[in-house]
Amino acid sequence: MNISTRWIREWVNPDVSDSDLSEKLTMAGLEVDRIAPVAPPFEGLVVGHVVNCDKHPNADKLSLCEIDIGADSNLQIICGAPNVRKDLKVVVATVGSVLPSKLKIKRAKLRGVESNGMLCSESEIGLSESHEGIIELDMASTLGQNIRSVLDLDDHIIELDITPNRGDCFSVLGVAREVCVNYNLSMPSINYKAEQKGTRLFSSKVTNPSECAKYLTRVIEGVDNSVETPKWMAQKLLRASQQLHSPIVDITNYVLLELGQPMHAFDLKTINGGIEVRSALKGETLELLNGQTVSLTEKTLVIADKKSAIAIAGVMGGMKTATLENSSEILLESAFFDQISIAGIARSYGLHTEASLRFERGVDFNITRQAMERATELVLEICGGNASVINECIDPQSLPALEPIEISNDKISRVLGFDLEPSWIESKFKFLEFEFTINSTNSWTIKPPSFRFDIRIPADIIEELARLYGYDKIPVQRLSINANISKSSQAKISSNDLSSSLVNRGYKEVITYSFISNEMHELVDPNSTKILLKNPISDDMAVMRSSLWSGLIQSAKSNIRRGHNNARFFELGQCFTGTLVEDQVQKIAGIVCGNRHDSQWSGSEREVDFFDAKSDVEALLFLSKNEYTFEAAEHPALQMGQTAKIIKGNKVIGWVGALSPKLQKTLSMPNSFLFEINQKEIEQGEISCYEPFSSFQASQRDIAIVVSKQITADQLINSIRSLKQDDLVDINLFDVYEGEHIDEGSKSIALNLTYQSIEVTLTDEQLAEKVSKIVAHLELKFSAKLR
Amino acid sequence: MIKKIITDAKKAIADAMDLKALDDSRVLYLGKKGELTDLLKGLGKLSKEERPVMGEAINEAKVQIQKLLDGRKSELEDIALTKRLLDEKIDVTLPGRNFEKGSLHPITQTLNHIQDIFTKAGFEIEIGPEIEDDFHNFSALNIPEHHPARAMHDTFYFDSNTVLRTHTSPVQIRTLERQKPPVRVIVPGKVYRNDSDVTHTPMFHQVEGLIVDKEASFSQLKGLLIDFLRAYFEKDDLKVRFRPSYFPFTEPSAEADIECVICGGEGCRVCKKSGWLEVLGCGVVHPNVLTAVNIDPNEFSGLAFGMGVERLAMLRYSVNDLRLFFENDVRFLNQF
Repeated sequence: MNISTRWIREWVNPDVSDSDLSEKLTMAGLEVDRIAPVAPPFEGLVVGHVVNCDKHPNADKLSLCEIDIGADSNLQIICGAPNVRKDLKVVVATVGSVLPSKLKIKRAKLRGVESNGMLCSESEIGLSESHEGIIELDMASTLGQNIRSVLDLDDHIIELDITPNRGDCFSVLGVAREVCVNYNLSMPSINYKAEQKGTRLFSSKVTNPSECAKYLTRVIEGVDNSVETPKWMAQKLLRASQQLHSPIVDITNYVLLELGQPMHAFDLKTINGGIEVRSALKGETLELLNGQTVSLTEKTLVIADKKSAIAIAGVMGGMKTATLENSSEILLESAFFDQISIAGIARSYGLHTEASLRFERGVDFNITRQAMERATELVLEICGGNASVINECIDPQSLPALEPIEISNDKISRVLGFDLEPSWIESKFKFLEFEFTINSTNSWTIKPPSFRFDIRIPADIIEELARLYGYDKIPVQRLSINANISKSSQAKISSNDLSSSLVNRGYKEVITYSFISNEMHELVDPNSTKILLKNPISDDMAVMRSSLWSGLIQSAKSNIRRGHNNARFFELGQCFTGTLVEDQVQKIAGIVCGNRHDSQWSGSEREVDFFDAKSDVEALLFLSKNEYTFEAAEHPALQMGQTAKIIKGNKVIGWVGALSPKLQKTLSMPNSFLFEINQKEIEQGEISCYEPFSSFQASQRDIAIVVSKQITADQLINSIRSLKQDDLVDINLFDVYEGEHIDEGSKSIALNLTYQSIEVTLTDEQLAEKVSKIVAHLELKFSAKLR
Repeated sequence: MIKKIITDAKKAIADAMDLKALDDSRVLYLGKKGELTDLLKGLGKLSKEERPVMGEAINEAKVQIQKLLDGRKSELEDIALTKRLLDEKIDVTLPGRNFEKGSLHPITQTLNHIQDIFTKAGFEIEIGPEIEDDFHNFSALNIPEHHPARAMHDTFYFDSNTVLRTHTSPVQIRTLERQKPPVRVIVPGKVYRNDSDVTHTPMFHQVEGLIVDKEASFSQLKGLLIDFLRAYFEKDDLKVRFRPSYFPFTEPSAEADIECVICGGEGCRVCKKSGWLEVLGCGVVHPNVLTAVNIDPNEFSGLAFGMGVERLAMLRYSVNDLRLFFENDVRFLNQF
């Protein structure tokens, strides 16, 4: 909410500067987002009267003016504004004055004629962008008077960021109350009473009193809505960022800003029969003041006449019954609508109005009548007319109950962590307009005022006391030590352990959005359940990712486009295959493409391949020291024949493979390798358990065999392992060869076998026997031939 | 005679230019068939008186020549070593082999920094699901349907009951459903709001903190957060101020500002000339929240706080555009 400090000071005027005042409000919980002077600094500008205005002898577009500024002699000033004319009151920048643009006014000659000053437009004195013409002042302005005081320019606009609990502060009255509480000033009492001559009652009834506990209307006849809104009111409204309409509408806006009570004025002649406050009927429509026609829902409370709905209660009036320039009979409305029933209504129609904003947060139900009197008073003063009696529909039962709240000083101390003086507490209760009774020493029963919808439980009262004491003055304490030692497993592999492992292998971590495009989902993981956002920010961010690959591919792609071809990225993040907690799985994934290493003075460049990616995966798996296997498999995003699933026990826990040629083409990606693992499956290792090692010499034996290309390394090694040969401690596959001297469809595999006994040094004969058994086994099982 | 041998040996040893030549000299003078050995062999022919004198002289000569040999050997070794060192000289300024610069994302680094500070103070780390139900994200946090605060959240929906969490606060509820007080946890994680412009990204990170204990006061909350902020910015005299604010799930509620770390409180573009930067929200847990998880608010009190990780990272690393965090440009990532 924007409000001028001058307006606040008309209510209550603490002896501090505007910036101190705004600082105080911020520290009291009414955050001032911005404080801005209504006009920039300038000096030496006064009111002048155009006594004479002739054409400049040497220039068509310039005027030669004689200006009276109440001094001994009149000034000759040349002016180029189209609207300058005789008998105008204008803003005169005299010689020596300084404009906001830092322009210093000097005596000058314009086309051979002397000019002793300047007549100013709004833009020249920083009031607006408008330089259409010079400012035309009120004819009652005093000659020679300082413009800053004439136009009330020594004022600031403060922009208040009011929190949802403080609906009471959406008015000058509310802010003034806060100022009083914070500066220990007393609040002026209000008691508006408009002159009432008429007796015309317009019938109204409330069908749903629980949603509208008070509904006040008043007929005012014989108003003239064609007059101009007075300058003092217009200025306040404009400084509160309110647009000007007709005087009647401006008056209702003014009262809303001043007292916080949303008001509405109907053109009485457009209403068919009496008013009814009721729920909207099925299928009912309404054309609103903003021109929008809405289909009303049945939970919407409306103001209706005998024929149809004429306004959405507490939100906006209808077009048909709006007051216009020629309206002469009006029906003023001031009502109390229930917070809960108004809540969400405006938003459901895509509306957000000053009225709905206040009703949703709670409007003082004791201001309804005062607001009516205040608005009437202003209508009579500005538009004339006869006011009739106020027609009141009130259901006291439906008014918010102000339940008493018990609070003890003990409780206050416990929550805040220090003691407050009971006398200080009671003095603050008085400033806050809390009614209270003393129960016993240091305990009170409190009844909050009708404008404070946020004071319902003891904690609310404690917050009031704390903020008035000053959060900054609250002493600082340390937490007492929590002696609980947290349970954690030494063999747990943290996200950081995993990340460090990849970072040390040259990977850069990325963080990408959890929502991806439908297209990426279909390309990368089409078989998983698609989790769609109902209200995505765009089509590119419409599906929750089931895999981290789409984000990684995009990251690699955009960096490659910028010339960083050796991409190596990883990400940790939740992936989604449903909306239940168990469908949200933390994964770790990576992408590599380009060369294995950046080009270097040593060594030759080579492109990354499957086994580079696999070794990075192995580095992650190794941390937990569990048994994992890789098995050839197929995945929609990966290249057939260069894809493996990663298996733990008999569970697939991840994938590694080459991005499929089809996706490479669709996504304009180079050869890339991807991996992804469910983090949960690799985050629990085992505590190491020492096994004694042999002190006898280990012996190595190498064998080279030729087998069919179809036989995998794992098959060979597992098969040898299945023999459970004593003293065979390690099998290392150290060469794979295909080509010359090897039959088509076959490959040569070289294995290094390590034997070591815990008891003796093995003899050559013993070793030879063991090796030949293995060779025989491989021959039998895989038709392997010893080379 | 001996003198001549010594003189000859001296010359030969000095002239030996490598270990081989030196060894030849050794054989020539000290070897089994060497000149001195020959002299020793001839001792028997000498008189009884001459014998010891001559013997001693030969032995002295032997010792002297051995010394010369040893000295020259070490000289030659030094020369050889010097030559080898010169031969093996490399350009040590060439880059090391196959080193690739990996990096952790600045947000992760910030999260780690925050987590380190709190875990040292006895906090445990909790995480929770990013797709939440209405109860955990709103209702249990004292944000009933149609509460004005809901409108401020710009929520992403899956259906009327399922949302992308708008804050990490639902993990407060999940923690308290599982664990009885005393509780001292922090919750790092991603959160989502349907808002995207220069200063908002639809996904960002928060760290939430929760303490539930028999004695937990606003003063302690203030102390904890001042300590945290000073530790985070590594500035012992960092000015911190607390302002009343509003969150549905805390009462009293506060926002904490720090003196602008960009301008030192003088007023600049980042702090909008105020000299202060809002960095976190906090408060005493609202009794309705404790009640929602069956904890008696008369027996226990709670303290809660939450901070935006991107904001803290931007201030810490002087990053001036929020969106950089999610563009993953290596020119950005390489700097962390």
